[in-house]
Amino acid sequence: MAKPFRSTRRGITGALEPGEARLLGALLGDVIALLEPETGPSEDPLAALVGMSGTDADAAAPDDSAVRRLLPDAVRDDDDEALSFRRLTERSLREQKIGALRSSALMIESSPMSLNDEQARYLAQALNDVRLVLADRLSIETEADAERLHEVADAKDVDDVDSYLALVYNFVTWLQESLVQAMLKASRLER
Amino acid sequence: MTVGFASGTDTLEEVATTESTDLDQPWVVVVWNDPVNLMSYVSFVFRSYFGYSEAKARTLMLEVHEQGRSAVVSGTREKVEQDTVALHAYGLWATFEKAGSE
Repeated sequence: MAKPFRSTRRGITGALEPGEARLLGALLGDVIALLEPETGPSEDPLAALVGMSGTDADAAAPDDSAVRRLLPDAVRDDDDEALSFRRLTERSLREQKIGALRSSALMIESSPMSLNDEQARYLAQALNDVRLVLADRLSIETEADAERLHEVADAKDVDDVDSYLALVYNFVTWLQESLVQAMLKASRLER
Repeated sequence: MTVGFASGTDTLEEVATTESTDLDQPWVVVVWNDPVNLMSYVSFVFRSYFGYSEAKARTLMLEVHEQGRSAVVSGTREKVEQDTVALHAYGLWATFEKAGSE
């Protein structure tokens, strides 16, 4: 079992078991694949350069509910306004997220990990995105739904795909909580 | 929001905070509650991105958790747009709106 993250003089440290690192690496890869924009050859190079989505057609609210949660509307109750904002910002948001997910995939290959503040932040963001996608696949819509999943805490509780996903979700939740606690502790010591 | 069940180190402090979000500015960023984001993580984001004190970050986080939403920062339209995208990068569910439109 992974060791909880700790705040030390050498930064934030943590260690995953090889199987856990492989699993997490696959999950990070899945989220990257969800976020990678489908870039056509007709992409306007100037628009791409300034991080604007190329054409009107490719900036629609995502069909996949998990992607919609990763890239939510920035304006509520006004679809036109939300869409025009999405056209200006979505491409660069996707790229930022992919950047954090890719760096995290590299970080978790080392055991033990020793992370600086920026790396720890990227990893916390990436773990959060993984949890958002898993939660969507598990249809976690309310806090009661989330509570129910906590019961799946051990491999012996797993008897189908959903309970396996729940176990994975709980593991990533535990990992993120331990990382954030270590980061909060580190920031208290700095002040 | 949810609580990381393996933590046990999250100290509950009783804070009498007099800080409040300055709503004199015309636009606000609203953060919405969701069942996935960890309470500790949301506090961390408020501290590290906005530079809020631990007490203020916690107050705002609890407001999101208990009331379903909280206006966490205010400013010009340009600033709230930028902050909203930054919070999306962290995975928070954020929108911007005119102050007082709730």
